[in-house]
Amino acid sequence: MDIGILRRDGRTDPFFDGTAAGRLVIRRCEACDRWFAPDASGCPGCGEEDPGWAEASGEATLVTWTVLPEEPPAYLALVELAEGPWLHARLDGVTRGDLREGLPLHVTFERPDEGETYILFHP
Amino acid sequence: MRTSRGTSIVGLGMTELGRVYGRSPRRLAADAVRLAAADAGLALGDLDGLLVSHGVSGSPGIELAGTLGLGDLRLLAQVNAFGATAGAMVSYAAMSVLNGTATTVACVFADAPRKPKQSAGAAYNRSAREWHGFAGMTAALGLRSVTSFYALAAQRHMARYGTTSEQLGAIAVSTRAWAAGNPLAEMRDPITLDDHQNSRWVSEPLHLLDCCLVSNGAIAVIVTGDDRARDLARPPVHLWGWGQGHPGHRKERGSDFGLTTGAASAGATAMKMAGIAPSDVDVCELYDCYTYTVLVSLEDYGFCAKGEGGAFAASGALGPGGSLPTNTGGGQLSAYYMWGMTPLSEAVIQARGDGGERQVPARDVILVSGNGGILDHHSTLIVSPHPKGA
Repeated sequence: MDIGILRRDGRTDPFFDGTAAGRLVIRRCEACDRWFAPDASGCPGCGEEDPGWAEASGEATLVTWTVLPEEPPAYLALVELAEGPWLHARLDGVTRGDLREGLPLHVTFERPDEGETYILFHP
Repeated sequence: MRTSRGTSIVGLGMTELGRVYGRSPRRLAADAVRLAAADAGLALGDLDGLLVSHGVSGSPGIELAGTLGLGDLRLLAQVNAFGATAGAMVSYAAMSVLNGTATTVACVFADAPRKPKQSAGAAYNRSAREWHGFAGMTAALGLRSVTSFYALAAQRHMARYGTTSEQLGAIAVSTRAWAAGNPLAEMRDPITLDDHQNSRWVSEPLHLLDCCLVSNGAIAVIVTGDDRARDLARPPVHLWGWGQGHPGHRKERGSDFGLTTGAASAGATAMKMAGIAPSDVDVCELYDCYTYTVLVSLEDYGFCAKGEGGAFAASGALGPGGSLPTNTGGGQLSAYYMWGMTPLSEAVIQARGDGGERQVPARDVILVSGNGGILDHHSTLIVSPHPKGA
């Protein structure tokens, strides 16, 4: 499956500003010392509706996956960032035989001809 | 107003189901309510409560009361807990009857997502050239179908517990075997495990035959108090217990996503209220949007140990002649996909003894489940042909 063209919508601007600069930024509540996925709607700990953004390490592990039966196959996954949050993600540079719980992964940034820079995870 | 000590389902209305075109969801819902009232031997004017739910079509809402010409209602609401809604509606109807808010409540679901000359899956897939927002990013990267999200859950169960595709296939096969005896089922030709394994991948590890149908239609049930139920046209189907479970799986380290579901708490609540244990259940009617949801629900209800759902399904327990007849009408996989009304309608049919060639011999205790979102919401009902405690 081709990767679609991504457009920013205001709410995603900090995330895509990050990817354009080669940085994975996710949500972080400093007061509660907790990390959240970029799409978190707030901090359930303190009720902050707009937690800040902070740069994640880009290191992750594989939680679970699904493969779309195409040529080439599309490897889609839930990955666990080193900071704790899970992301729905697309894997690159893997084969079915590589896939296992806990597989170490790291983020890469892909700049398409059109649209925002997106992220992939590689072993 | 006199309050009732027990409640029952006394009416069941089902429109034509499946590839039913040309009727709006609101029209289908109205037809189902009329059919349910007629089935119970009630006039529409006897209803003083209406609970409405819709599927992906987004209609009808509470305007359905006007469509039906219902006046002087004491209870009217739209209910939405996704696939857990049918069980939730019935429980809210029962509680309203028990506390005297209303006496006779219709609960209806309608949907018409299926279009002529369009694949069934299209109703639940996303398609676009450009994508916006974080959900759009997930879709842009390739996660565009509900099936892919359930595939992530099923794959996690497989990796953790050794569950296999063949074990999921056993559920597809046993469910189809039941469908053969259901004249209302869309898919009645028997299938083998090879057929399951050879059906195309939709999103690995889920084959086409792991996935439910997509159907148009509507189903309604009517809930009233046992004092009134005994005088109506059909044998009451007594409500022994209900429960909900919304685990709120957080997408972060330590989450049980894919491993356990809201069935664990919903089932415990419902069984406690009913005064039963899993070993008392004669029949299961489980929400089977995917074979995997049956497998994980069986574990969470306590019919087998966590991680042993695959072996339990492969043992033959679920099919005709098995120790725990499950999805005896062919479920959502083979019969019709009316969200939580699929398992509930078959439970009513079995409890009444109306199952024809698929009728199970033992039906004293029937467990009904609902599952919504991506394993986010769960409801359970325990029903019986007998009054509770009788």
